[in-house]
Amino acid sequence: MPSSQTPPAGGTALDPTAVRPDIDDARILRVAPAELRATLERLKGEGFAMLLDVGAADYPGREPARFDVVYHLLRLDARATTIAGVGTPERVRVLCAVGEPDPVVPTVTDLWPSADWAEREIYDLYGVRFDGHPDLRRIQMPDDWEGYPLRKDYPLRGPARERTPRPSFALKSNVAAGTPASGKTAAALQRQIAQARGQNAVNVKTEDKNP
Amino acid sequence: MTISSAEPRSAFSVDVVERTGNRMVLSMGPQHPSTHGVLQIITEIEGEIVTKASPEIGYLHTGIEKSAENLFWSQASTVIERMDYLSPLSNALCYYLAVERLLGIGDTIPPRAQQVRVLLCELSRIASHCVWLGTGGIDLGALTGFFYCFDLRERILDLFEASGGARMHPNYIRVGGLGRDLPDGFLAQLDRVIAMYEPRMRDLRRLLQKNPILQDRMIDVGILSADDAVAWSLTGPTLRATGIPYDVRRAFPYSGYESYEFDVPTRTEGDAYARFLVRLDEMDEAMRIIRQVRKQLDTPGAWQIPDTKFAPPPKETIALSMEALIHHFKLVSESFRVPPGDVYQAVEGPRGELGYYVVSNGDNRPWRVRTRPPSMYNLQVLKKIAVGELIADMVVMIGSLDPVFGEVDR
Repeated sequence: MPSSQTPPAGGTALDPTAVRPDIDDARILRVAPAELRATLERLKGEGFAMLLDVGAADYPGREPARFDVVYHLLRLDARATTIAGVGTPERVRVLCAVGEPDPVVPTVTDLWPSADWAEREIYDLYGVRFDGHPDLRRIQMPDDWEGYPLRKDYPLRGPARERTPRPSFALKSNVAAGTPASGKTAAALQRQIAQARGQNAVNVKTEDKNP
Repeated sequence: MTISSAEPRSAFSVDVVERTGNRMVLSMGPQHPSTHGVLQIITEIEGEIVTKASPEIGYLHTGIEKSAENLFWSQASTVIERMDYLSPLSNALCYYLAVERLLGIGDTIPPRAQQVRVLLCELSRIASHCVWLGTGGIDLGALTGFFYCFDLRERILDLFEASGGARMHPNYIRVGGLGRDLPDGFLAQLDRVIAMYEPRMRDLRRLLQKNPILQDRMIDVGILSADDAVAWSLTGPTLRATGIPYDVRRAFPYSGYESYEFDVPTRTEGDAYARFLVRLDEMDEAMRIIRQVRKQLDTPGAWQIPDTKFAPPPKETIALSMEALIHHFKLVSESFRVPPGDVYQAVEGPRGELGYYVVSNGDNRPWRVRTRPPSMYNLQVLKKIAVGELIADMVVMIGSLDPVFGEVDR
């Protein structure tokens, strides 16, 4: 009997946006970086005056473009004074896929000044550059930070701390939190710790025998 | 405190500090009592007039979005509640609404669970506005109001503690409903809060709203036009103070908000005083909703979905039923899986449209949880409204935008 606990057919999806269930939350458009500006300008002209948010997501392994830059727009009339005058509320979501080695999309800060911090945050945490942004620098992380923390290949505790093990009482939960659902065996964990401590495999075996 | 000319902090602040004439660069914060958290503003002033303001954020960045990707679906809400720590239940509600939509169980949430969710979210709105009103008053020297506000807030936090077990982060809203039913005595406690609200607000309005000193400080300070508000993506009271009655509860109703009667207060002035009045009116509207919910809560009912594959089975059945034990074990040890897909869900938080863009790849952990932080967008407009104002009014403008740095920096 199929249950919610069994993985969905096909296991985990490489691109969840392509296999999404039929949820009526927004109109969805997918555009290439070259058409992004034209699409957003057209939508703004159609009445989608408010840029609700610019976000991003990382799908490593998706070809040819691993990142999605996601624009959420809202239809809103600045002259509206009554609830009816706000008009039919409607959201549109524009997804723009961009790939490595140089992920870059055009900025929309000239269309919406509010995009400034959101684009800086994506640059900061994903390393996606915004061409034409007036002040593209890190916003959340320190200015001299290396790496892009929200990328999936960036370790949870950061590259420096990932190499050193946690104290044993905290280890299991912390390591498990960064591993896939399948989990690692205790022996594999022990090996990982031993490698980090610079011990050889023989010691690991004796440790296994004497728990 | 001026910035030394030898080390300009960043490209956005001025490269060389000029001291010619009256021009000066001032670094306000990040340790400043009136910044309501850790906000730094590199301010250029000519005499007392601000010519440029560059807010610097990120001092409270804790990687909540990254943490959430590494927790089970049901665990992620514990860190998500810590974003907007003045109204944690709005965050939890929005996140779980998104998850429930991905699971396809969004339409099956029992009415009582929805009513309690609405009740708690409106209570958080009042509690959150109490903090804004109290601390905003302190910024302007009105100390007395703070104690009245925090007293009211404390009674509301007592309600959170009674329902979920914790004052500030109760983690009471769960997938498919609530963590447990409302405890005995909760409704009597709620009635006492409802009874104290009216006289308390009357006192506060008399103390603060008509106060000539506060009016002098707030009227015509930090003026925003409706066009600017839309261009800068403002939502919530900040947007409604410019005259646009956009409210997520009305535009995209959720959790049964369409069945309650309430108005969307607006003002047209767009200054700090208009935002002040809109928030005060919003507290009254929130209490109006609470009174309507209160009438429905006397009839008991289911408070979570019966599907024990998502919602844990009742505690008493675990000792008796093998299936219940298995489901409980599965939920605790590996949580549930969510079908692949992405969804954007928004609620009207105390600060505006609080949105979650949640992506699942089919695993038992969220693939991506992107927050649409209303505080961040509201705070960003400080760059615009501060120019041409007095440096002394900077604290008024920050207070009137009501940022919460747990949410701005995440």
